[in-house]
Amino acid sequence: MSFFRMKKVVMNSLFKKPATRMYPVIPREFTSVTRGHVEMEDPEGCLACGICAKRCPADAIRVDKSKGVWEIARMQCIQCNSCVETCPKHVLVMHAEYTTPDPEKKVDTYQLHHTEPKVAQVGDFDPQMETGDAGLVCDKESCVFCGLCARNCPAEAIRVDRAEKLWEVDKDACMKCGLCIEKCPKKCLTF
Amino acid sequence: MGKRTIIPFGPQHPVLPEPVHLDLVLEDETVVDVIPSIGYVHRGLEKLTEVKEYTEMVYVIERVCGICSFGHGWGASAAIEGAMGIEVPERALYLRTIWHELSRIHSHLLWLGLLADAFGFDSLFMHCWRLREKVLDLFEKTTGGRVIFSVCKVGGVRKDVDSATLREIVEVLKGMAPEIRELADVFMNDSSVLNRMVGVGVLTKEEAVELGAVGPVARGSGLRQDMRLNGMGVYDRLGFEPIVEEAGDCEARCKVRIREIFQSIELIEKAAMDMPDGPIAAQVRGNVEGEFALRIEQPRGEAFYYTKGVGTKFLERMRVRTPTNQNLPSLVKMLKGCDFADVPIMVLTIDPCVSCTER
Repeated sequence: MSFFRMKKVVMNSLFKKPATRMYPVIPREFTSVTRGHVEMEDPEGCLACGICAKRCPADAIRVDKSKGVWEIARMQCIQCNSCVETCPKHVLVMHAEYTTPDPEKKVDTYQLHHTEPKVAQVGDFDPQMETGDAGLVCDKESCVFCGLCARNCPAEAIRVDRAEKLWEVDKDACMKCGLCIEKCPKKCLTF
Repeated sequence: MGKRTIIPFGPQHPVLPEPVHLDLVLEDETVVDVIPSIGYVHRGLEKLTEVKEYTEMVYVIERVCGICSFGHGWGASAAIEGAMGIEVPERALYLRTIWHELSRIHSHLLWLGLLADAFGFDSLFMHCWRLREKVLDLFEKTTGGRVIFSVCKVGGVRKDVDSATLREIVEVLKGMAPEIRELADVFMNDSSVLNRMVGVGVLTKEEAVELGAVGPVARGSGLRQDMRLNGMGVYDRLGFEPIVEEAGDCEARCKVRIREIFQSIELIEKAAMDMPDGPIAAQVRGNVEGEFALRIEQPRGEAFYYTKGVGTKFLERMRVRTPTNQNLPSLVKMLKGCDFADVPIMVLTIDPCVSCTER
């Protein structure tokens, strides 16, 4: 009896396709959602706000605002997608392909190219601009206290209370990313 | 009484998937005493949760274990949700249950392969892992990760699964069932396998209670103990009933795990059918204040989570107690009096995860 069972298994195995792939001749196919590695897609658009580094649970990202440098330690990154989700400018992208194996603990560095300081326009904020002590300012005359700025603030630095007509910003927590200015429906926020 | 010899077993050993260290005191070929020690792969993950925001910390806690990573992510999220009083949407609970049960299937298939490898049945080992690969592909398709998913977050889940993919999951699992049955037949009826497992490493029901055994080890000794009965996820709505075997030996523990694979397939099928529409995550505002403790049934057994927050973005304390930690005393009891050649099988039947234990 067991002889026939064995014969069946042998015959099946002879004619079945192999379960493995001839890697690297046949490359691996990734799904559309596979988290392979994080890439800085648009160094020009990065504000160097540092939210990605703050949210990274593995401390893999380092942002130096003064030198305009964005770094990621490939061995430390755990591909959790937190940085990609929190980036206010959507300049970080998760690619499906894994990074190639490396005997060194590789750190990828990106130079962020910022233009010369200029006067801020609504929705076009330059992080290197001198903002002075005033920081983020709200024109309370036109503000409707909708709270969209607070809801979109990645640093949770803004507090809005519609009932009390209260709008306040925690200047230390504010990263000056300009996202609130972009989202404000009444365009009453300025730096 | 023969001469006593101490043989160090692990942390580096060809048969061990995990770096457990046991000092085996032998009299001829018989083990008379066992001294376990841990500390080889300590990573300080619990401490790390105190310096990372509680929302991102879930992705760290997931790294406690590479096999039951979803369970750890769920446990940590649920503990924080409990402390903050967040109500998780229904759909998220169903999705969590499905991913958790898929993890169980992949964990048990992995374990069956390792067991086959431990008694030198390498083709069986390869076949178990070949089937496991299909589950990993399902994970990659639905979550983006193969073993660490980062899909569970505080308040719900990060990714939705559409109905076509749910149907595909059920179809893949249904297609796998006959193949798993073929493998199960070898584990349960092949004489060369049974010779290594029947009557080996017996743990009686009383001993299991006394030593605090959890998971398949406890259920293999006739103890009806499963944290899925405690109201986590949607198990109560899926008609879940724990699988119990009475013999208490290695074969009973193996049988529990094999039967649990089929049970998980049924649970996933039911959950996919009943899946309600709706949001997949609740809004999370504010910080954790207060404390919360809960228990969750992972593939290896019961895991315990304790969380405490003091109103800041960082947790004051996150404590995780993993199933292997609980099963080590039972392992020591089983090993006493056994043959030296049976040690690898017995170590494997508690499904040790030392990386979990040491965190």
